[in-house]
Amino acid sequence: MIHVPAPDAFAVFGVARTLDLDPQQLELRYLKLSRECHPDHNRSQTSADCVAVLQRSAEINDAWQVLRDPWRRARALLEAESQGVLDRNKKLDPMFLMEALELAEEVAHADSDSDSQTALTEKLNAAIEADYQALRSDVQKSDFDTAAKRVHQSHYHLKALHDLEAKS
Amino acid sequence: MSDAPPPATRIVIGIDLGTTNSLAAVRAGKEPRVLRNLGADPLTPSMVTFHPDGRVLVGAAAKALRLEHPDRTVFSVKRLIGRSASECQNDIADLPYPVVAGDRDLPRIRIGKQDLSPEAISAMVLKEIKATAEQALGHAVEEAVVTVPAWFDDAQRQATKDAAQLAGLDCLRILNEPTAAALAYGLGGKNDGTVLVYDLGGGTFDVSILRIHEGIFRVLATAGDTHLGGDDFDQLLAKRILSLLPSKQGIEDAYVLQAVRSAAEGLKVQLSSQEQATLELDLGDRGQVELTITRAEFEASIAPLVQRTLDCVKSAAKDAGLDLKKIEDVVLVGGSTRIPLVRARLEAATGKAPHTDVDPDLAVALGAAIQADILAGNDRSLLLLDVIPLSLGIETLGGTVQKLILRNSTIPTSVSEEFSTGVDDQTAVDLAIYQGERELAQDCRLLGQFKLRGIPPLPAGLPRILVTFLVDADGVLRVTAREQRTGVEASIQIVPTYGLTREEVRRMMLDSIENAQADYIAREAIEARAKAEAMVRGTKKALTMAELPPDQTFAVHKAVKALQKLLAADADADALKSASEDLTKVTATIADDVISAAVTKSLKEDQQQEDQQP
Repeated sequence: MIHVPAPDAFAVFGVARTLDLDPQQLELRYLKLSRECHPDHNRSQTSADCVAVLQRSAEINDAWQVLRDPWRRARALLEAESQGVLDRNKKLDPMFLMEALELAEEVAHADSDSDSQTALTEKLNAAIEADYQALRSDVQKSDFDTAAKRVHQSHYHLKALHDLEAKS
Repeated sequence: MSDAPPPATRIVIGIDLGTTNSLAAVRAGKEPRVLRNLGADPLTPSMVTFHPDGRVLVGAAAKALRLEHPDRTVFSVKRLIGRSASECQNDIADLPYPVVAGDRDLPRIRIGKQDLSPEAISAMVLKEIKATAEQALGHAVEEAVVTVPAWFDDAQRQATKDAAQLAGLDCLRILNEPTAAALAYGLGGKNDGTVLVYDLGGGTFDVSILRIHEGIFRVLATAGDTHLGGDDFDQLLAKRILSLLPSKQGIEDAYVLQAVRSAAEGLKVQLSSQEQATLELDLGDRGQVELTITRAEFEASIAPLVQRTLDCVKSAAKDAGLDLKKIEDVVLVGGSTRIPLVRARLEAATGKAPHTDVDPDLAVALGAAIQADILAGNDRSLLLLDVIPLSLGIETLGGTVQKLILRNSTIPTSVSEEFSTGVDDQTAVDLAIYQGERELAQDCRLLGQFKLRGIPPLPAGLPRILVTFLVDADGVLRVTAREQRTGVEASIQIVPTYGLTREEVRRMMLDSIENAQADYIAREAIEARAKAEAMVRGTKKALTMAELPPDQTFAVHKAVKALQKLLAADADADALKSASEDLTKVTATIADDVISAAVTKSLKEDQQQEDQQP
């Protein structure tokens, strides 16, 4: 089974292909598109039209899920700029992987007391924020290969944060 | 139902098909309203009694007979619909009427020699609701929006759609109950913001978190339990009552089960307004029960169930990415939210006093009516964006489920995957679709097997079959497939695990049309018979009063005799009608209209008696 990539979310929404989309503007855009394209307001007679309306509406909903999430938005942007870039840059620096492993250990053994958890949460959030800052500059320089690596790296930080939250 | 032409704007009704009660509403204009018979209770019990004399009674008439015919009065089928008999073992054990495992392990309700599907029972309830709506509106109704618990899976939704079809309704939308309630609550834009709808009904629990903004109602997350509701509270009380019975045989006895169930429900309702309630139940030779229970005792017994609802509330908030305390309003739906403990616990969890402006019994139907109005194309200012409650996935090697569509994705939603073949010249591929959150296929529900056929014979791995999984606005999955190299549409054969196959629905539709014909003939015969009997009575009476010439008396007697003979022989409607006409002709020729007057009077009295009957 091979996953078929969804259509370019930026194109579906008709917005500029950029990492920094204003969340409020994006939400209003989503609601406007929904009003225009939702099958409830476009109940056509023929079944072929029906499927087309459903497909269009599904595309908008799915694009919204992608664009509202900064990391999914980044992945969609990179794929749109350079198809297959994420697959080509899966190999990460061994040094980084060592660090990621240590971080996972730290999360696994984190004390249940709230102080040390808070400290670790802050550390992870800072790492994720730094990842995104670096990603912005990569994209600005159109260095999509480095950007793709950055996205893969951030995955380890996001997962560590997720695991930590699941513990409490 | 009058023969008034349907109104110029398209009318679609909203139906709340509940576990215990059902009702319809309509929105013609700004505010939706409940459709009911004049002076009648707006709620129709979702009950059907199959009387031993052959009559089928639905609603309040069925409820009135539930103690008299406990094994022939069917209710709570919403707990069975779209599920397998093994899955509903616990429910079946609690029901006073017999449920057996039929074909494909589907639950079938056994009434005498007949086995009925839950869909067929729901269709009878829907027909009753449809008839009530038609009477209230004064014209025929063909289209409806029917609500289901948000937590219903694909199979349960499809089964509900089938029930509507069997009832002669075109179901334009399967709508989630809490979403419907939110529509009723948020109409008019006065309540824009983030809302939590807590819906604890007779058999199911749902919680949904929505954001309302300028007429757009967007569900952020939903969670729930299809097996948690007021019935479970009744059941806890019923178990307590049964334990006090001298003989344990009662548990096997349909009458005792039904009587205890009703008593338990009564106690529960009392405990919502009183600190304690007393029960004196006399079951004749089966024993007597006296029980006093305090609200505190009742609350202690239901507390674990209430806690389960709060766990769902927390999970929904997490999925919505919201802090519970940030929710601006809490809306209560469902009769079980009248229980003080439920309100108190929810208030403690959210920090908000629940909103009770909308009647918890009517909110769902009113909201369904609003959605119906939107789908009818009468209101473009409102829009509902709902989500799929459970993830959908496909079985891969090793029995794991690969998620295709994640729960709480806004619908419609779609995903495409490419498949190929494993051996040369393979022309079919099987896909097993599962719904649920667990990793292993065995822990999720198998929705159905999709068989892709018509793949062009090619060496293994060469065909590229693009399969698109699309969840429509009903939350029902549609699958399409196409071979990419040749462009051949692969046909898809769906074998649903639960519920009715398409063939079964088709056959039941045909059966119901034939039955409708049979029903009509039967009713015609009854009417013709009643009319003939009244004529015989009236004419005989008139003959004793009037002094007629002998030849006329003879002619009248002859016509009466002929009619009586037909009545005694159980003649059909046509024969009775023609003999009645003959008698009318004879009496009409009589100069003195004594006879005609007496006959007319007798017919009138008959009509009045009929009208007075409930």
